[in-house]
Amino acid sequence: MTFAHSTLLIALLVLLAPVWGALLAGIDRVLTARIQSRIGPPLLQPIYDTLKLLRKEPIVVNRIQIVYAYLHLAFMILALILLLCGQDSLMFLFVFAFSTLSLVLGGMCVRSPYSRIGSQREIMLMVAYEPILILLMIGMYLVNHNFLLGSAATAPKPLLLTMPLTFLAFLVVMAIKLQKSPFDIATSHHAHQELVKGITIEYSGPYLAVIEIAHFVETALLFYLVMLFWASSPLIGFLLACASYFLMIVVDNAFARLTTLWTVRFMWTAALAMAATNVLWLYL
Amino acid sequence: MQVELLLAGGLVLAPMGFAALIMAGANRGIRGFLVLAATALTMAAGVALAYRGPTTIQLPPLFGTLAQGIEPLIILIVIALGFLTRSRMVRLMGAAQLALAIAGTAAAQGGEPHPLTLTVDWLSIVMVLVVSVIGGLIAVYAIGYMNNHERHAPKTAASTNRFFFFIVAFLGLMNGLVLVDDLKWLSIFWEGTTLCSFFLIGHDGTDEARVCARRALLINTFGGLAMSLAGSVAYAWGGTESIAHMMAGGAVLPLALLSLATMTKSAQLPFQSWLLGAMVAPTPVSALLHSSTMVKAGSYLILRLAPALGASPLAPVVAVAGAFTFVATSALAIGQSNGKKVLAYSTIANLGLIATCAALHSPLAYAAALTLLVFHAISKALLFLCVGTIEQTIGSRHIEDMSGILYKMPVTTIIAIVGMASMIVPPFGMLIGKWMAIESSVHTPLVMLLLIAGSALTIFIWAKWLGRITTASYHPVYQAEKVSPWMMSVLGLLGLGVLTASVAALPIYRAVVVPFSVSAFGRVSGGAAVPLLDAAETFMAWPMLVLLGAVILAGLTAAFFVRSNHVRLPFLCGENVEDGELSYRFRGPMDGLDTAMLTSYYPPIFAERRITLWANPIAILVILTLFGVIVP
Repeated sequence: MTFAHSTLLIALLVLLAPVWGALLAGIDRVLTARIQSRIGPPLLQPIYDTLKLLRKEPIVVNRIQIVYAYLHLAFMILALILLLCGQDSLMFLFVFAFSTLSLVLGGMCVRSPYSRIGSQREIMLMVAYEPILILLMIGMYLVNHNFLLGSAATAPKPLLLTMPLTFLAFLVVMAIKLQKSPFDIATSHHAHQELVKGITIEYSGPYLAVIEIAHFVETALLFYLVMLFWASSPLIGFLLACASYFLMIVVDNAFARLTTLWTVRFMWTAALAMAATNVLWLYL
Repeated sequence: MQVELLLAGGLVLAPMGFAALIMAGANRGIRGFLVLAATALTMAAGVALAYRGPTTIQLPPLFGTLAQGIEPLIILIVIALGFLTRSRMVRLMGAAQLALAIAGTAAAQGGEPHPLTLTVDWLSIVMVLVVSVIGGLIAVYAIGYMNNHERHAPKTAASTNRFFFFIVAFLGLMNGLVLVDDLKWLSIFWEGTTLCSFFLIGHDGTDEARVCARRALLINTFGGLAMSLAGSVAYAWGGTESIAHMMAGGAVLPLALLSLATMTKSAQLPFQSWLLGAMVAPTPVSALLHSSTMVKAGSYLILRLAPALGASPLAPVVAVAGAFTFVATSALAIGQSNGKKVLAYSTIANLGLIATCAALHSPLAYAAALTLLVFHAISKALLFLCVGTIEQTIGSRHIEDMSGILYKMPVTTIIAIVGMASMIVPPFGMLIGKWMAIESSVHTPLVMLLLIAGSALTIFIWAKWLGRITTASYHPVYQAEKVSPWMMSVLGLLGLGVLTASVAALPIYRAVVVPFSVSAFGRVSGGAAVPLLDAAETFMAWPMLVLLGAVILAGLTAAFFVRSNHVRLPFLCGENVEDGELSYRFRGPMDGLDTAMLTSYYPPIFAERRITLWANPIAILVILTLFGVIVP
């Protein structure tokens, strides 16, 4: 594959990422409805919703929340580009984290108790899962002797086999990032959120659409990240990612919401121990 | 050679001369002019020295004799302060130092007095620039700040002339500290900075200020004693107090003692209490101590020793000590609502990170340490000055009280946002440093785990604070606040500096820091330059910067066109009550009037007392290990 080809492919993947994320969200809603013995919305409902939001009046509470919404989306797309280009893994994480941080700040900068509580919880969640993601990247370095995400494709063995425990810990991180129960603490896709809508409550119209699109990109990004665990064969990687996503939906429907502190404690003990053990044995 | 000698003299002596002039009695107008002249001269000398590049300057043997005279004198001042503050420990440690100095002089009587060498390498050039440019700017800011402070200061406060005497002299002492290649002279400057910080912390003369100043004196005298001991041991074993010779000689005990001294100066655990207490002083003092002087003396020395330290058995212990401080103080910062205390803990954390990188013994880690040192100095100076300005306007330094300041003082707040962004936004300087630090720690798992935990915790602090200062209701028009022009011009300059340095972080890193750290390691450890990891070499920052700029511009444009008929009050689960500025009240149940209130979350597990309780003993154990590894 030439340089032009790979550039074209990356551009295509980035452009399609929101659509792919929206499709995954649609599948989620249909599957969840079936689990709950409902028929559910059409598959493309998330796309219809977002398009409708984009056409609404731009209602805001203050000016600065607009800047944060844009930063959230832009840095999410940038993180995706870094991932697809196989750039440095830690820089990818920093960009990814900054995107989430912009969302948090967007929720914090308004005088609304609900979105502020949501933001505080989201920060706690970031503190909870960030070490696992860094450990994942360190593990990849120890396997590939290289911090470039692109080198995962040339790993001698699929990463899933060398880092099974880290993969399990990563699945928990994925559940947190996709706002799935039992970790949908800061905000949720479901109506049964005790914080009204949490972090995004004061966003509406096109600015809410911006955040929705960012979340679609994030979903696609996490999907690609799972594919890294079997990068030698895109097909197996794809199936692995589909299986992981299906697991997320089932878990989402099977669990009740936990508290933030419980999540932090769980992540810094059980999940961190799993990931760290895995990384430590890679040193041997 | 002659020019460099002149410049070095200007860097060290000019500030002291001006300090004496200020002390000699100046009214407000002349004082401002003198401070400005002193900093301008120092800055010019610093920049000129940097422009001329690395060199070494030999001073005549007279300076060796001079040191033998000055050292006991300065120790006598410390002992006198020990009597004044009624601190027996200070007196005892001072007496021990005096005995060492006299013994050293007696031992040196027979031999040749050795000449003093001034080392002007890239490390000292970077330090000189940090001290004279950033320290100078803080001194200028202080002119405006102290004019306000004088009016509100308690009656016990010392004179403002004395304040500026120590501020300006501090810059000269720091410049001397980073230039000399001699443990005796280093020790003199080291004690000098301790004395300056004692008087500056105690400036207001309140009970709290006295207690804190005394604590700073006590802890730093302990560090000074460790340094005197290191000098004596180095002299007894190697026959010289030259730092370069000591490092080449490979003696481990002096290295361990000097590492201990750097920990006290950099306020590493368990010595952090003096720096936390230092915030009772007027804000420019905190800014000076935290960013460009005092604590950076510790970072400087550990970086100076890095090539020898890394090759010694001490390296892993020093690395773990720094990384542990990084985690523990990052956690401590989360539990604080006092803005200055948050900044203080964040400073200590970053100094820990610098020490860790210095001990990791690779050009990459060294480059990370240097990057952190420079960018931290600029950003922290700016942030402290911002908090000082905010405090003088709103009358509080608590993070929780800072909502709405985006409207009350938009210019300062925007500058503060820039400062905070420079700490966390990729690809700005601090993040480049952290990035390199984590990547260079992968071969030492324990250090790596500590760094990972610490960097996750730092997110919390900045997110909370940034969220608080950008909290605002909708206002159609913003109006710039009135702040003293001295202060505002420095804030503006530093803000621009932070912005420029942040944007140029990666190019600066590649063009200056990398070659320098490779050369530093190539020269002293004689080893091959470890290849720098690919990513730092090839990563392109400009597309990110362009994107960041474009997005912020787009966001601001959209924000600019917001019409007031598109603005709503936040949802409060009841009918909002329109009462102007505070849109926080609503009609609650039973038609009662309720006010929604929300402070940030301060998780109880991060309470100061709780963490300090276990962190300090662990830190002490690590220090004991430092001396344990020397015993074969």
